[in-house]
Amino acid sequence: MRPTVHTRPIVELKSVSRAYGSRLAVDEVDLALHPGELTFLVGPSGAGKTTILRLINREIRPTKGEVKVDGIMAHAIKASRVAELRRRVGVVFQDYKLLPRLTAMENVAFGLQVADLRVSDEEARERALDALEAVGLGDRGKAFPNQLSGGQQQRVAIARAVVAQPPVLIADEPTGNLDQDTAWEIMDLFEDIAAWGTAVLVATHNVDIVTRLQRRVVTLVHGRLVRDQPAGQTGRMAWLASS
Amino acid sequence: MAGVVVKARFPRRRLVRIVAANLARLLFGAATRNWARNIGSTAPALISMALLLLMSGLIGLTAFTLHNLEVQQASQASLLHVYLRDGAPQPDVDALSSRLQADPRVARVEFVSKAEALARAQNTPGLNDIAQASESNPFPASLDVQVKSINDVGAIDALVRGETVVDPQQPTSYDQGAYQRLQAVLFGIAVAGLAFLGLLGFVAVTVTMNSVKAAIHSRRDEIGIMQLVGASRWMVRGPFVVEGAITGGVSGALAGLGTFGLAAAAIALGSESFVQFAPGITTTVAAVAAALVVAAGLALGSGSSLLTLRRHMES
Repeated sequence: MRPTVHTRPIVELKSVSRAYGSRLAVDEVDLALHPGELTFLVGPSGAGKTTILRLINREIRPTKGEVKVDGIMAHAIKASRVAELRRRVGVVFQDYKLLPRLTAMENVAFGLQVADLRVSDEEARERALDALEAVGLGDRGKAFPNQLSGGQQQRVAIARAVVAQPPVLIADEPTGNLDQDTAWEIMDLFEDIAAWGTAVLVATHNVDIVTRLQRRVVTLVHGRLVRDQPAGQTGRMAWLASS
Repeated sequence: MAGVVVKARFPRRRLVRIVAANLARLLFGAATRNWARNIGSTAPALISMALLLLMSGLIGLTAFTLHNLEVQQASQASLLHVYLRDGAPQPDVDALSSRLQADPRVARVEFVSKAEALARAQNTPGLNDIAQASESNPFPASLDVQVKSINDVGAIDALVRGETVVDPQQPTSYDQGAYQRLQAVLFGIAVAGLAFLGLLGFVAVTVTMNSVKAAIHSRRDEIGIMQLVGASRWMVRGPFVVEGAITGGVSGALAGLGTFGLAAAAIALGSESFVQFAPGITTTVAAVAAALVVAAGLALGSGSSLLTLRRHMES
């Protein structure tokens, strides 16, 4: 399913700035993400990509501006409501962040149950297995992270991020530790997840993937949003020269 | 026929069972596993807390004893023994007793014969030796005057000193300022005990906080993941509080056993004289003290954890 431009945005950033001390990491950024849309967030190192993701997940607050996620004012909510927001945002990291003492299935089920105590063991197992099957690891549920390849670990992390069916998925350099073939497999997964109706935002340096997939590309340079190219109109990555 | 919306009954009992099972596993199960796994790093906190609680238990029992002694001394300080001259005529003694009884400042008057005074001395530690050493009875008969207010004891003493039936060498037991001196000593002991407990408490809380801090640091990945998948704050912090409570509870149990054991041994070994030196200390009191020590351990352990979490774990 291709993104429908007329849907209401699920994530909205309005005039958002974020400073670390005297350094401005994000400067007056306006951005809207829609359900079913796969968006790449690109830019040189230090451009503010990770800061944007952390603002959406309310790991940090903006210095100025508004961040709205699935109807929740992320910039204004109290600490006690942060968990509620994070249940609506799946997160994938470059280094997977799996718990080494738990199997693949337990890692996925753990994420489901600590976020919602009403999920029974049986239901958690079933849903975790479904999520693992969806990412192509239905037969590796009993494997521990150290028994899996990097690509497989990232698949488990993606399964954990989507098992609760959040409306938003953010990924910070998800292919940074993977070879090109595996990176393509992971990107295929993100396309599938977006096709289910989830808004997917991927921060990446992988120019090859970005140019070949022809999805929406948002470019940040020195904290400013300098270009927002719609799907199918991805041109040359000018920022590469400075990265 | 139009469609009918059937509202299914919410399976509340099943839901409660599921939530309880998840809580037990994710909160208490995880806390117990982690506590057992980290026992090496928790041991210093456990030992220092157990020592603190044992000292608290023993100091508590001592304070209870001192309080009872003070009550006993206050009662005795307002009891004036008017020692009677040997051979004083009984009608004169009765007359003095009646006059004292009629005084509004006096609660009651009791005549104690020489034989009764000797019997009392034989049951009092220290005086028993004197009673045994002498062939004749060295203890005088007396009128035991219970004065209503401790402030009037001096006036009653002045009233009876000139009486012919009263022993001119040792007229009464009145010792001006003795009670105040005792109170000052007890106050000093209480202040010193509290200061010592405060110091021990500070050490125990600091050591416990450091061990919880180390636990948070060693599990920061797990905490980060829990926070990112949307675990509520209490779900993230809960296991650490439970771990702290387990440390406190185990320390409290050890200290409680120590407190009860030492008190029970002292009661068994000290027999009758123990009652004189430590009035009010019984097996029941020792058991209550031990239970309080366990409760204090639980509170101290979970409280220290909460304090550390507030300082070192942000959502």
